[in-house]
Amino acid sequence: MHEFSIVDSLIQRVHEECKRAGFSKVKNIKIVVGKASGALPAALLFAFHILKEGTLANESSLIIEETFLTGRCNNCNYIFQTEERFLFSCPNCFSNSFEIISGNELNIVEIEVY
Amino acid sequence: MKIHIASKILASNEKKALENRKLLKEYSIFTINLMGSPGAGKTSLLEKTIKSLVGQIKIGVVTGDIAGIDDALRIERLGIPVVQINTSGACHLDANMVFNSLLDLPLNAINLLFIENVGNLVCPVEFDLGEDIKAVILSLTEGDDKPLKYPQIFQKSSILLINKIDLMPYLDVSVNRIKEGVLSLNPAIEVFEISCKTGEGFEEWIKWLQTKIS
Repeated sequence: MHEFSIVDSLIQRVHEECKRAGFSKVKNIKIVVGKASGALPAALLFAFHILKEGTLANESSLIIEETFLTGRCNNCNYIFQTEERFLFSCPNCFSNSFEIISGNELNIVEIEVY
Repeated sequence: MKIHIASKILASNEKKALENRKLLKEYSIFTINLMGSPGAGKTSLLEKTIKSLVGQIKIGVVTGDIAGIDDALRIERLGIPVVQINTSGACHLDANMVFNSLLDLPLNAINLLFIENVGNLVCPVEFDLGEDIKAVILSLTEGDDKPLKYPQIFQKSSILLINKIDLMPYLDVSVNRIKEGVLSLNPAIEVFEISCKTGEGFEEWIKWLQTKIS
């Protein structure tokens, strides 16, 4: 349930951004959550629902875009994607040396304010 | 109106972790973020490690639990500087909690700092504390299927300690299956098979720590 800490950080950041830009209400908050990030969208939404109360995000929606885990093989350069939460080896050449190029994100993208 | 932000949600934690890392580096302290399930043997590992290194390496401990001071008392008994963090419900430590603890430790009298995280195989992984390395301790009684069920913690750790190997004759658990699972997730991880009860395997673990500190 570390999703509560994550959402707490998110709301604090949203609060700072609103103050800086001089707005007092938020309509949407858009975030990207990688499949391999360790955070579950359903748990993030649950935490958001509870933690937004009494903040300037009270009437806002949390929009979550999920990214798949994607790797690039260091041996054959093949780019591959999985719906799983981890990768073992390149499906093309079976090398286990690869870079993860997406799937670990836990990023705030944009907020819509008014 | 839309405001583009494009930053990590946990950016404030990472900023604080960077501060911790800088502070610990200033004092030349090697820091290990020790993670594992409740009952895996985190505190027992620290007790045995402290006893093995007494007079050789100056150790400090930050220990995190949801409630209680039992762990800190166990460490304090050994004459080691220790700070207990009570997270009051949170399932992991974060960089800010650790920063506040560092202020209460005699940093100039410490070469090796253990941060014993809250017992949990999932949540602590996400939070950088400013450590040099993450280590995970898994006990045989937890089962050999755990690496593939909780991949992140094994992927992000540099050290795996497999504890309670003295119980091997009584369990239907394969150490090889644990190792195969972990190494397929993280080929670079270093594995130590130990028993905090009998002391088996401690020689290599202690040797590894000595090479890191000297």
